[in-house]
Amino acid sequence: MIKKLFEWLLSPMGRVAVLIGALSVFSLAAYGIYTTQQPPEQPIAFRHDIHVNLGVQCLYCHPGALRGASPGLPTQNKCWGCHQQIAKTNTSPRLAVLKDYVQNNKPVQWVPVAQVPDFVHFKHRPHIAAGLNCETCHGDMSKVEIAENPQVMNMGWCLNCHRDRTADNVQNNPDNDPGVSALLHEKRTKLTDCGTCHY
Amino acid sequence: MTSNLELPVFTNNSEAELGGKWGMVVDRDLCTGCQACVAACSMENNVPFVGETDMAYGRGMHWIRVERLWEGLEADYQEVKMTSYQPLMCQQCHNAPCEPVCPVYAAVHSMSEDINLQVYNRCVGTRYCANNCPYQARVFNWRDYTDYRPGNTADNDPSWSVLQNHLNPDVTVRRRGVMEKCTFCIQRIHKAEDTAKSEGRDVRDGEVVPACAQACPANAITFGRIDDPESMVSKAAETSRGSLLLEEMRTQPRVTYLAGGA
Amino acid sequence: MSKQLSRRDFLKLATAGAATSAVLTGCGPASRYVKREPYMKMPEYTYNGLSTYYATTCRECAAACGLVVRTMQGRAIKVEGNAENPVNLGKTCARGQATLQGLYNPDRVENPTQQGRGKGAASQMDWDAAIQVVAEALKNNDPSEIAFLMGTAPDHLFDLVSDLANAIGAPAPVRFGALSMFESRATLSRAAEELFGQSAMPYFDIANSDLVLSFGANFLETWISPVSFTREYAQMRRGKPRKRGYFVQFESRMSQTAAKADEWVPLRPGTEGLVALAIGKLVAEAKDTAVPASFEAIDPAEVARTADVKLETLEHIAQLVVDSEHPLAVPGGTAVGQTNGLATAESVLALNAQFGNYGMTGGVYISPLGPNQDEYHRPASPEEMLNLIWKMKDGKVKVLFIHGVNPVFELPSHLGFLDTLQYVPQVISFATFPDETAVASDYIFPDHHGLESWGYQRAVVSSQPVLSGAQPVISPFFNTRATADVLIAAAQQAGGQFAEALPFADEVAFIQSKLSPLVGDPDGSFLAPEINMFSAYFQQHGGWWKNDPALSAPIASGALTKKLDPGVAEFSGEGEFFFVPFVSPTIGEAGANKPWLQELPDPTTTVTWNTWVEMNPETAHELGIDNDDIVEVMSEAGSVQAAVYLYPAIRPDVIAMPFGQGHTAYGQFAAGRGANPVNILSIHFNAAGDLAFAGVKVNVKKTGRKHELARMEGKVGVYEFRKE
Repeated sequence: MIKKLFEWLLSPMGRVAVLIGALSVFSLAAYGIYTTQQPPEQPIAFRHDIHVNLGVQCLYCHPGALRGASPGLPTQNKCWGCHQQIAKTNTSPRLAVLKDYVQNNKPVQWVPVAQVPDFVHFKHRPHIAAGLNCETCHGDMSKVEIAENPQVMNMGWCLNCHRDRTADNVQNNPDNDPGVSALLHEKRTKLTDCGTCHY
Repeated sequence: MTSNLELPVFTNNSEAELGGKWGMVVDRDLCTGCQACVAACSMENNVPFVGETDMAYGRGMHWIRVERLWEGLEADYQEVKMTSYQPLMCQQCHNAPCEPVCPVYAAVHSMSEDINLQVYNRCVGTRYCANNCPYQARVFNWRDYTDYRPGNTADNDPSWSVLQNHLNPDVTVRRRGVMEKCTFCIQRIHKAEDTAKSEGRDVRDGEVVPACAQACPANAITFGRIDDPESMVSKAAETSRGSLLLEEMRTQPRVTYLAGGA
Repeated sequence: MSKQLSRRDFLKLATAGAATSAVLTGCGPASRYVKREPYMKMPEYTYNGLSTYYATTCRECAAACGLVVRTMQGRAIKVEGNAENPVNLGKTCARGQATLQGLYNPDRVENPTQQGRGKGAASQMDWDAAIQVVAEALKNNDPSEIAFLMGTAPDHLFDLVSDLANAIGAPAPVRFGALSMFESRATLSRAAEELFGQSAMPYFDIANSDLVLSFGANFLETWISPVSFTREYAQMRRGKPRKRGYFVQFESRMSQTAAKADEWVPLRPGTEGLVALAIGKLVAEAKDTAVPASFEAIDPAEVARTADVKLETLEHIAQLVVDSEHPLAVPGGTAVGQTNGLATAESVLALNAQFGNYGMTGGVYISPLGPNQDEYHRPASPEEMLNLIWKMKDGKVKVLFIHGVNPVFELPSHLGFLDTLQYVPQVISFATFPDETAVASDYIFPDHHGLESWGYQRAVVSSQPVLSGAQPVISPFFNTRATADVLIAAAQQAGGQFAEALPFADEVAFIQSKLSPLVGDPDGSFLAPEINMFSAYFQQHGGWWKNDPALSAPIASGALTKKLDPGVAEFSGEGEFFFVPFVSPTIGEAGANKPWLQELPDPTTTVTWNTWVEMNPETAHELGIDNDDIVEVMSEAGSVQAAVYLYPAIRPDVIAMPFGQGHTAYGQFAAGRGANPVNILSIHFNAAGDLAFAGVKVNVKKTGRKHELARMEGKVGVYEFRKE
């Protein structure tokens, strides 16, 4: 029976059917990937671009990045600290949502956009200490309306950067200094070690 | 940069690395077998409990266990002795038998910390490493124990998730089909290294304390840098009472046991 | 079908199928299924993503160990010892570690409940109605007919209830705990009173001794303050340069403590007092000094025969005493839990007098009182509990308040506490967990878990007076309320003398009133000029303690002249075997509802999750009993069933069982598991009113059924395990 099926598939009709099948599978897959790359719906349509363009620093709302693993999300107190002094809070329909959350003491359930699986222990502090800027990984938030993730955050992406920054090449060690070279090697061992992120 | 994946080296016999990095000393004369280390380890590392039936099958998930052995069993009951308790955890061998047998490089050596790693997301559950471990220090997740309720057919009872509130966010919760073992509390090592780096200094002796050593009421466990001859752990390991378990197998374990008795 | 699908084709198809399904289902990142809820108002001192640590006090037993609890985003995630607290110096026991599984226990009482004594359905109430119930119970009853039954922890609540009872003219609250029953605290303090003229807990300086003779004292397991005693043990062994302390244990079975001894002397139960006196006499003879009056009448050879030990062993131990600088003898456990327990404890204290170690390094002292305490309050002895039970039976208790203790489980069922509850019109429980007593109450008004509570606890045995402070490390997880707050609110509502008795805004105000006498004490661990600053430091350091040891030396005058006659203990019942119940070192009195404590292997047998019966292999062989056979252990008071563990280090005429399991309630991890050995104890008290729990003889009968005990130690082929 399976042999018959194969013979039919080799006939012109069969080939068309295979083509259609393959196309539909492919387009479904493409659609699936497309949807996952869209910013998710958030409880409050928070505009990163407006806040960043007004001059609010990233670390004002996400100060944990400077101290530890997680940058954290701002408390409602922090939102309200500014917004209660802004006249627009009472008029804008978008901000009415925030007002509702704060005044009725409802917790906001944000949907994270940049997230690694739970077997990866990513820490923000060492990356900031190494001189990285927020936008290196999270993109330029002054151009983004609702937060989205510009990056596919997988291990290859992490390791490429770790390798680049510790490679013993002209860029990292222009004078070919053996001391710097040893230091780079040590860093490289640490930054490509499985146990640095997985435990 | 193109990916030229460097495969881990699984026999670590280069001269330069023989000194090791982290090590532990366990004084069997002081250990009272009280199980505080076992409880502390389980609480710190999200080690699940498995229930009576699976314990009877030998599926307990203890990362550290206190072994007790008899002496003089053939004699009269008055002559029977219990040899000193022996807390046994992964010995973090420099030349680890678990590493070369893993087909997916889930059991790999950490080149920077010189300990054995178990990369949970790589592990496919062949259990070769556990079979090859002479210390029987590795345990396997036969079920999703963190969600599993012993003695209940319903594997996911929502009321039971209350217990999960004390899970440590610094340690991965392992799923079914994954091998695991003692990590020397690597999350605490990283934390201390990170703090030291942010303060621009080296990690101080005694700054990294694994959960077992922290809890031990008898102070029987010492932890620290064995490549520093001045550290507490190096000094504790120096006495004539010290020995390594199964030293003749040349696994080069990082845990020194001090003999009990006089 | 003429042509089979080739393996290669099959693999191709399978790969294509797998790839398709992976593409279709595996694209969505896990993050899409996660929601994050930030604080609405962030607590002070909290940083995003960083842990906050709070100092508090462990409430798993009454030892008052200091804890530092790691919390993150409002959840308690790890318990660590408080390195500052002199009781435990940063260490914890297994029960302390597992206290989080009590805090986040799925079986906690979540709301105030009208329990109705377990008959019919329980119904939830709100707290206003609950306080109304308590207020009316206080107001509408004659104060002399109100009874308070408290646990051994926490002390601040005991102080509050004592003040309340005192002010309204109710009887003083009764305190009880199974651990204090198995520790025979009443006997120890009574022995101190008889010999030193001072009722207090004797303190044994194990750390500085170089020879410890322990008469049944299981100080490495659950005895009084196991964490501090384990530390002292370690110091005794390895704390002194070149000289390793020596340790001898006299006990009929090898307990976890005996396993650490250099010599284990398995004597016949009930002869410990005689052996102590015999050693005293042998020491005097070996030293060539006059034999003190207390030991004169003893014949060591006869004692050795009675106790079933070799005379040479006793002579050898006497020689060890002569050769050591700081010998110390410690009475406790099964040696004191006998009909002659008081005389045994006195004999062992007299032996210390013979060693000349009263008030000396490595010797016997009297424990200091707690910092805000005037006199020593010991927990009630089982005989005093029986008095309460009789009072209940006579209808002289109209309302019974119970907090922090589970007498239905902990007291021998032969005492009849459960049956007597029917004579009490109203029983109000403040239990955190639905234990046997709470289930049999009219109301459960759940208290917070210890980690959610304010409070303080005095260290029972310590060289320094210590007041360990407790503060909440997380906000209450369920709809529970502090019992102190409930009582204060109810007293205010009842008005009159009740409101005058507790004129406090809340629990914290009451605690501050009890702390205020300590403000300005120059010898304290910190100095604060006024109470608010004192309270803040008290929370920050996890308590307050005196800097200097406040041990006092006992007055030894009468100890060596008093006529002591411990004799051999009397045993009740016609059985063939001595029965030795002991507190499970890992589970303790109330650990059975914490799954990780259940999963911890017993240190000596490695059994988990169940009760076992320890039996010498030779005895078992004669009776045709094998490992894992379920046997019935029968005494004159009743019988229990459990599986046998063949234990090589136990006398052939002794049967032992751990206490801690055999719950009928207390949540899913505890209920219906194992057996409770106190239920076969018949009621005999020693001269100090403590229960002779090791004074029962039993018979053993095979039931023909088997239960494979889940042990940690190797069995021949784990796959041979069969289900019953």
